[in-house]
Amino acid sequence: MAIATTELKTKIIESLNLQDITPDQIEDEAPLFGAGLGLDSIDALELVVMLEKNYGIVIKDIEEGRPAFRSVRTLADFIDARRSSS
Amino acid sequence: MNNAFILAANSVTSADAAHARLGTRFGRMDLASQLSLLAVEPFAPHFETVARDRIGIVLAARAGSLPTDVAYWNARNEPGGLSPTLFTYTLPSAAIGEIAIRHRLTGPNLCFVGGSDDVLTEAGELLRAGEADACLAIFTHVISPALTEKISLPEAARSWAVFIGRNGPGLAVLGENRRDMESFCANLRPQNLTK
Repeated sequence: MAIATTELKTKIIESLNLQDITPDQIEDEAPLFGAGLGLDSIDALELVVMLEKNYGIVIKDIEEGRPAFRSVRTLADFIDARRSSS
Repeated sequence: MNNAFILAANSVTSADAAHARLGTRFGRMDLASQLSLLAVEPFAPHFETVARDRIGIVLAARAGSLPTDVAYWNARNEPGGLSPTLFTYTLPSAAIGEIAIRHRLTGPNLCFVGGSDDVLTEAGELLRAGEADACLAIFTHVISPALTEKISLPEAARSWAVFIGRNGPGLAVLGENRRDMESFCANLRPQNLTK
């Protein structure tokens, strides 16, 4: 079953302790880093840990995860792909 | 040394941090960084009057990053690994980074484990050496509540900050009389004293 982006947004907010933002305020296609949600390199590492804790997905090479971290949509697609291949 | 002037001063406690909202990233920070950021926040208008690469930041963390160190140690066996964010804040200098990012300050900076007199001395030296035209001097004292009870400290978390410039008139003169300045800063009340 494909992961719901709302669920993923909630996990992101919780794992990064983001304040004053709700899942519905995050657009599926908006960039997670830089201009969009404004996350930084520390947040990227925290997301890697979040993926392992919540979805059992291990990213050993950050370059592998780079395309997945573009947006909530790409991250959801990445999780779905890894789940279906395992 | 030539006199420098305290242009603004502010003091905060953990109660202020509990209700503060300084953007989405504020929640991830440790208490020492939150307090440092809050203590400096009222000074933002002053930063417009000095080139941002000429504003120094000097931070004295009296207890280092002790509460975060303890939290990191306690979390060492968590499944899935330790939090990278938690690790970041085991560095007391992380607070300087947060302040520099938020206010786009690119001047010299210094962080050390020390007391309130040290931070004023170091800030004064930075100005005297001509390395900065203005300087933030920040003192943080953050200890976890459990430790506070054990060693009978009166308060668990407090931070004060002063913004020092070469030109007055300011709230006070930062001259040779360190004892007066220590007293001035020690008695800062948890409210905005910015002129």
